[in-house]
Amino acid sequence: MLDFFMAIAKWLQNTWWALDISGSTWAYPFVQLTHFTGLSLWIGTNLPLDLRLLGIGTKRQTASQLSDALFAWNWTGFCIAVLGGFMLFSSAATKYVPNPAFEIKLGLLVPIGVLWHILVQWHARRFEHGPRVSLFGKVAGMVEILLWFSVITAAVSIPNFETH
Amino acid sequence: MLQFCEWLEKNPWIVAIDSSVVISLILEILHYSGFFLLVGSTAIVDLRVMGLAARRRAPVDVAKQLFPWMWTGLCMAVFSGFFMFAADAVDFYLASCFRTKIVIVLLAVVFGVIVSSIVPYLDRVSSLPLWSKIVAFVSLVLWIGSILASLEVPARCGVG
Repeated sequence: MLDFFMAIAKWLQNTWWALDISGSTWAYPFVQLTHFTGLSLWIGTNLPLDLRLLGIGTKRQTASQLSDALFAWNWTGFCIAVLGGFMLFSSAATKYVPNPAFEIKLGLLVPIGVLWHILVQWHARRFEHGPRVSLFGKVAGMVEILLWFSVITAAVSIPNFETH
Repeated sequence: MLQFCEWLEKNPWIVAIDSSVVISLILEILHYSGFFLLVGSTAIVDLRVMGLAARRRAPVDVAKQLFPWMWTGLCMAVFSGFFMFAADAVDFYLASCFRTKIVIVLLAVVFGVIVSSIVPYLDRVSSLPLWSKIVAFVSLVLWIGSILASLEVPARCGVG
């Protein structure tokens, strides 16, 4: 299985865009900027919704109103983060594929986090009983916060598992 | 200032924090999470003032819901950032990229305060004035600039 992914990683690393990114001194920070800007929009719109479900902070809007208001930029942020992340991955794919922190982040935590987020957005209205949020809603918000903190933990751990 | 940085770097508390892998990891997670929360929530308010996000809700509603998280994110990023800075205080102090980052972040915070102070006024006008959109746009550019400046510190100055 690892051989299969390494073969794809080698091909990806030799594509024109990957060679352009890894061969340029200025392109890499700009690709990182794309990834981090997308992540800021994604995390910065996910956490306020989860915290609203938990009943923490201002209650001017219900969870479903907040979810609707943030929806477009939430997913725009996700698409920008995926685009930047894909380009970052392409530039050093063979280094990332065997990295256990990267494997856990992209192979496990990110898919679960995204699916969980879709469920939270989908059910935001059903979690509400008037101005109050049901216990299920609070648990859902808490789980999502923990999931994204786990993703960030795995991401910052990637350099600790790098082999040179 | 350089003497203070030298003292800070050698402070036993800072040395102990820096030598702990777990605490360093927690600080890094806090710094990134705080920064994402700060930039993301501020960007949505800026985009609302520019008329590009959450148009069904009044700017003041969006701002009052998100600004507490902006300040929470800022506190998380500054608190963790201080300890990350302290561990290599001399190198950071001498790095021009780091000073540029701090200037851009401070300017972005100032514009964040300006946006938060004009939002209640925007609730009383029928359409968003051009000057408020320009202020929000500058704030957004500064926050994106602060991400780029943060990335340039290790890339160009080799610190952090």
